[in-house]
Amino acid sequence: MKDRLLPYWLLIPAFIIVLATTIYPLAYSFITSFRAWDLTKSRRPEGFVGLDNYLYAAGESQFLNSLWVTFVFVITSVILTVVLAMALALLLRRKGPMHTFTRIILILPFAMSPALIGVSYRFMFNPEFGVIANGLGAVFPALQGVPWLADPQLAMGILVLTDVWHWTPYMTFMCLGGLASIPRETEEAARIDGASNLRIVFGIILPQMRGVILVMAVLKTIFALKMFDQVVTLTGGGPGTSTETLAYFIFNVGFRWFDMGYASALAWILTAIMMFISIWYVRMLLSERKMATA
Amino acid sequence: MAEVRLVDIEKKYGNFLAVPKQSLTIHDGEFLVLLGPSGCGKTTTMRMIAGLEDITSGDIMIKGERVNDKPPKDRDIAMVFQNYGLYPHMTVRQNIEYPLKLRGMSKVDRKARVQETAEKVELDALLERRPSELSGGQRQRVALARAIVRTPSIFLMDEPLSNLDAKLRVTMRAELKHLHHELGVTTVYVTHDQMEAMTLATRVAVMRDGKIVQLDTPKKIYAEPADLFVAGFIGSPSMNLIDGAVQSGVFRADGVELPVDLAGCKGVVLGIRPEELDITEDAGAAISGKLYALELTGESTLVTLRNGPSSVCARGHADFEAEINSPCHLAPKDGARIHLFDRATGERLR
Amino acid sequence: MRKTLAYLGERALLALISFVVLFPIAWMFLTAFKQPRDAYSLSLIFEPTVQNFVTVFSEPWNLGSMVLNSVIVATVTVAIAVPCAALAAYSFSRFRVKGRKFLFFLILSTQFIPAVVIVLPFFLMFRQLDLLDTRIALIIVNLAIVTPFVIWMIKGFIDAIPTDSEEAAMIDGASRLRVIKDIVMPMAAPGIMTSSIFCFILTWNEFLFALILSRRDAVTLPVGLVSFRTERGDLWELMSAAGVMITVPIFIMALFIQKHFTRGMTAGAVK
Repeated sequence: MKDRLLPYWLLIPAFIIVLATTIYPLAYSFITSFRAWDLTKSRRPEGFVGLDNYLYAAGESQFLNSLWVTFVFVITSVILTVVLAMALALLLRRKGPMHTFTRIILILPFAMSPALIGVSYRFMFNPEFGVIANGLGAVFPALQGVPWLADPQLAMGILVLTDVWHWTPYMTFMCLGGLASIPRETEEAARIDGASNLRIVFGIILPQMRGVILVMAVLKTIFALKMFDQVVTLTGGGPGTSTETLAYFIFNVGFRWFDMGYASALAWILTAIMMFISIWYVRMLLSERKMATA
Repeated sequence: MAEVRLVDIEKKYGNFLAVPKQSLTIHDGEFLVLLGPSGCGKTTTMRMIAGLEDITSGDIMIKGERVNDKPPKDRDIAMVFQNYGLYPHMTVRQNIEYPLKLRGMSKVDRKARVQETAEKVELDALLERRPSELSGGQRQRVALARAIVRTPSIFLMDEPLSNLDAKLRVTMRAELKHLHHELGVTTVYVTHDQMEAMTLATRVAVMRDGKIVQLDTPKKIYAEPADLFVAGFIGSPSMNLIDGAVQSGVFRADGVELPVDLAGCKGVVLGIRPEELDITEDAGAAISGKLYALELTGESTLVTLRNGPSSVCARGHADFEAEINSPCHLAPKDGARIHLFDRATGERLR
Repeated sequence: MRKTLAYLGERALLALISFVVLFPIAWMFLTAFKQPRDAYSLSLIFEPTVQNFVTVFSEPWNLGSMVLNSVIVATVTVAIAVPCAALAAYSFSRFRVKGRKFLFFLILSTQFIPAVVIVLPFFLMFRQLDLLDTRIALIIVNLAIVTPFVIWMIKGFIDAIPTDSEEAAMIDGASRLRVIKDIVMPMAAPGIMTSSIFCFILTWNEFLFALILSRRDAVTLPVGLVSFRTERGDLWELMSAAGVMITVPIFIMALFIQKHFTRGMTAGAVK
């Protein structure tokens, strides 16, 4: 009889951790999102205000700006990362000493602290003594003296760049894993049938990689939605609010202005977006698998 | 006395009935083979005996004792798995020693027993190696050694030879047979290979869709298959099964005309083994058709002839030669067993 | 001719990729060993010095205590998360118990929850309990991020282990717990090792929690970077030296698990 309960006993420690560190705080912040609570005024939560926090968000330009910034960031960084990763994986799947070397060093960007990446790029794009800023200026005179991080569009570009630099290697590994699971025969058969390299990539390989690409895109989307670390260390949300992502905006509301109720509501809006994408992702995966087994 | 009795056991996975209600007694010292195609429930049946799978209803009795609720470790059984189930992180010695260790045997005794067992299966030179450094046959021996080291009262073997190459399989088969003879332990053996079943078994239980369709000695099963399924499953090349009808004591099909011991019946399948057919020049022979293929197997030639939809195979002399597509005739040997089955139900008619 | 061209093109491309990957890292390492005046020039020729490292480890920067905080937080987090996760992963992988799918989905979906959502209530709670700016606080919140992730990863590894050996052990006379201890854990050891390192890297690099929940005593390395932004401007050479301290141990670990890298991650994701 003891054996029948064992599966549950094994789950308990992990479940307690998840319950205490995730479920409980989630519930707490959900409730807080319906209250007014300015931490600078009161140590305890004030009264319930219904949907006020959410309604306020709907009309607040800074929130809408952060939504837009997040949207732009997610779209560009996901597309760039996935496409680059796919291309890199196709290049790297062959065997060879240089291929192996590149594969090994690719792990480094992903292991690097995102906060540190932000700092490094900030340094390299410094218009006075940044190595990239000056390097580009030397090669392309038109780019001399460009105030990289002081320009809204360019700052966003560099933010995306740091993220792509950080994530592409990992996504490349996922692609390589996917490529390895494609049976070699189909590709070889196509080659014998006289298909060109390009045709093989677009006609044979990519269709079989659909599932992997989908997983990559959604995972990347979820992580991109949370973008925070580099915003703090690279741009500080600026210039102005041009790189203020949703996560960074919530951080500001909560820990600069100490409006806990509003911050909780914003956090739940972000959560809802992520949940929506996650559910959609699981659905897609399931139907994809059905197709694969059919 | 290690007798295993399955009483009205049944196994369901949700709504799927894997093993319908049935009983089976495995006698003490017997080598019982569960034979059937994959997915027929033979492995499930064995795993229920082992205690690796719960039974939905019924009782399992080992040595007269009900063991339904006993975990595998308390059933006094040993099992050899299809993929050996070795412990990859332990040496051969530690692998063989593990069951003894779990039973709290002293270190000195353990060492002696491992040595003794290893010698029995010729592993004594490999004791310090890891499973990954062994060949398939050697791994198989380790699995065997681990099973016999603690002298259990029942052996369970789940397709133990299926991962070996053909040649090794034959050698190991003989070793298993010898081992059973030497130890005399009740053995339940699962396989889909009818050759293994025939050569090893005291009795064979042929299974289909979870049900035992015939339980008998190999000889009996070969000579008197209970139904069409068993007839087609046992023997290599398999029994010729010809669709036809019986009318006034004669079986007729395209190119076949054979007097049989049955008055009349439609929808009959006639079965006759290739080795019980002779090739003749006699145009009036029971079976005629065009020669379709000749396959030399070494000690004989398999002659296949076709007539319409039916094709019949005979085992002929190794020297037999003829033109493909030339007319060819076959006749049953004297005293050949001719089986008749009902096509619709598969049941044996005669 | 065409073949050699394609060959050279491929090499050139690979070289370019390696350059893009390595350059920012290399530049940071170089800067860390430059004297302040060289740090602001772009020359590759300079007199290397370890002065920056000496500086960051002394007052007022005190990188030593940040290193200690990072090491303690990451190690304790791993030490708590991995054993609990391994047991849960085994249960998820091997038993078909009621509610298993729901539980697994619940635990997995918490991985998709943004850290900002969790950190707000934790900030309030820790303030109440007077745990702000302590390592314990950081360990607790890191567990939230790391545990589901490690369960997922280790489950992938355990799923890949055939059940034969476990069943053999049960028949050989081992209880379930004994099977887990004697058979499963040793067989899953490489996977558990990989997951532990992964978990360590995640915690080590964690920024948001540490930024919000630490002020002075519990500051970890990534947050420490921010303190090199002074009124005098950013002290790049010191930041770089600190960056090297953050990076080196993680790079060594990452290279160590390089081989298992994709297997562990993609197995769970694709299947």
